[in-house]
Amino acid sequence: MKKNFSVIAIVVVLAALFVGILSVQADGVKTLIVGFDQNFPPYGYVGEDGEYTGYDLELAAEAAKRMELEIVYQPIDWDAKDLELDSGTIDCIWNGFTMNNREDKYTWTEAYKGAGQVFLLAADSGVTDYSGLKGKVVAVQTDSAGLYAIQDEENKDLLDSFKELLVIPQYNEAFMELESGAIDAIILDIDVAKYQIEGKEDKYLILDEFLQKEEYGVGFKLGNTELRDKVQVVLDEMAKDGVFAELSEKYFSYDSCIMAACQPEK
Amino acid sequence: MTLTTILSKLAGGMLTSFSIFSLTLIFSLPLGLLVALARMSKNALVKGIMRIYISIMRGTPLMLQLLVVYFGPYYVFGIKLSPNYRYWAVIIAFVINYAAYFAEIYRGGIESIAPGQYEAAKVLGYSSSQTFVKIILPQVIKRIIPSITNEVITLIKDTSLAFAIAVTEMFTIAKAIASSEKTLMAYVFAGIFYYVFNFIVAMIMERIEKKLNYYH
Amino acid sequence: MEVFNIKQASKTFDNNLDVLQGIDISVSQGEVVAIIGPSGSGKSTLLRCATLLETMDSGELSYSGEKAAWNGPDGKTVYAPEAELKKIKSKFGLVFQNFNLFPHYSVMKNITDAPICVQKRDPKEVFAEADALLAKMGISDKADAYPYQLSGGQQQRVSIARALAMNPEILFFDEPTSALDPELTGEILRVIRTLALENMTMVIVTHEIEFARIVADRVIFMDAGIIIEEGSAEQLINNPENARTKAFLSRLQL
Repeated sequence: MKKNFSVIAIVVVLAALFVGILSVQADGVKTLIVGFDQNFPPYGYVGEDGEYTGYDLELAAEAAKRMELEIVYQPIDWDAKDLELDSGTIDCIWNGFTMNNREDKYTWTEAYKGAGQVFLLAADSGVTDYSGLKGKVVAVQTDSAGLYAIQDEENKDLLDSFKELLVIPQYNEAFMELESGAIDAIILDIDVAKYQIEGKEDKYLILDEFLQKEEYGVGFKLGNTELRDKVQVVLDEMAKDGVFAELSEKYFSYDSCIMAACQPEK
Repeated sequence: MTLTTILSKLAGGMLTSFSIFSLTLIFSLPLGLLVALARMSKNALVKGIMRIYISIMRGTPLMLQLLVVYFGPYYVFGIKLSPNYRYWAVIIAFVINYAAYFAEIYRGGIESIAPGQYEAAKVLGYSSSQTFVKIILPQVIKRIIPSITNEVITLIKDTSLAFAIAVTEMFTIAKAIASSEKTLMAYVFAGIFYYVFNFIVAMIMERIEKKLNYYH
Repeated sequence: MEVFNIKQASKTFDNNLDVLQGIDISVSQGEVVAIIGPSGSGKSTLLRCATLLETMDSGELSYSGEKAAWNGPDGKTVYAPEAELKKIKSKFGLVFQNFNLFPHYSVMKNITDAPICVQKRDPKEVFAEADALLAKMGISDKADAYPYQLSGGQQQRVSIARALAMNPEILFFDEPTSALDPELTGEILRVIRTLALENMTMVIVTHEIEFARIVADRVIFMDAGIIIEEGSAEQLINNPENARTKAFLSRLQL
């Protein structure tokens, strides 16, 4: 009897595996699956109405429409982004995605937005430049452009002057920590910083000096030039049609587009 | 974002969390029993396989198992993954993980039953399946309910790991709302949701425990 | 008429304890046999082999002439097919030292479940019989109680009723009083005497000599896996012939 049970057990496990593997197979609907970190306003986040929105997501939606693909917003665990992209469960990462230091890891569109990493501090910290960061606790998001920037050889002295560099999973938590005084500064993207302190400008300050200037692009799986090229074509169209300028005004209050197609024709 | 929007979003996430929770239990409780029986099998091969399975499931993080179950088919077999598989990968990973834990609980329970119970049943002519179903299992269930309750409550909280493979359950939604709204309110609500859920589950388990308390 | 017969029963364990070295016992209808002997003498093993809880290495076993086990050509015991054994199992009952009642079943269910679910008898008839058995055991008021609510003596009476409900031709008792407080021994003894008066065939393994003297028609003294001496209670207990029997009995009387 026990033997029977064992046989049944093995059959059930195998059946479960089989069903699992069957459901693995993709069905081939024409979609553009955009992977993004949903905790990254203003590029991708949960909007007023509870739906996903943001500068990059609106761009992606417009691009998909022009390519006659159905857009799918797929929030991902940022740590698993490479697994997701490699295995084809997302088509691209479109999410304030910094190209610097990642040039060879992905197949990129042309950079469409300039940005940079800055330091965000409490207004009452009195810090005005990098010398004031000495002995401070500084937080930065894991696997982010900010982290790579501060770990760069060039910035070694600055890094060494900190009391501690705290690598946190999400900016979200960093803001809570900054507000509560547990940390002194956050390294982050200038536009994310601006979005976060909107309405609380008197409580925070952003150091003028950029830790690193950088550019954002749409990242595809290395070698997926076919899809990249298609997206690039519609991005150029969108630049010429003024879509970039319009969305950029909406989210950042200035035209942030740096693509060649955005530049006024001579 | 209005309060209603926040709550309805969280409730949507809760539904996902709850479906992960209930499907995991529905499949892992029986599977765990089968694994326990196989683990106690006289067949050395079956026993060995189950032992390795249980040791892997308990010896590696659930989050890693989620990644392996989800991405494994692509990286090992080169199968293109469908978006629907995300959710089922969560269910499969949770089920095989929890079945391993439940199996050891069942095994402990089964082994704690006095041999005299088997002997009495045997002399009275019960078949071995009758013995197991009518005599042994009910006593095992009574004994293991407290340990099962522990695992079930852990499971509620473990559902938040589903986001490792991008299934947006409640906690993920709470995080997203918190980051776009710049307030902690979503966390507070999420906490309340989890607590109420846990409270109800604990109450149900207590009921079951009490119901089985008619004998010692 | 012969109800039970075991021939040349042999059994060895890895630990060399509780061995059987060729035991022959035949029990006739209505006979009450007591088996006594020091612990480790093999008397419990004998009972377990007789009730199919343990397999013999060699030897034969039959109930009312129906063969449950016999010696194969290599001299090792061969057991009858499962279906055959199932039929034979309903010919005997066993009362355990530790009762082994099912704790999650009420007294009534403990008694009636096997007749209904195993023997597939008409529940109405089974319940009526169970009522009569409980009355006979003097625990009619305990039908709905659970085992944990009963004293040891009451539990043992339930387990006797449970065995009787299967309508066995022979009832085995494995040290039925040794888990009980001494003052409760009497109630079990009374039950067994009543059964003896009703002509129930019984084999009782016990270390209570008084018990054996009062109920047994025949007493068997076992030691080290063999039958040393057997005879009427009067003869074996009062006038043992064998030196080992004498030594055992005198040790008990001290």
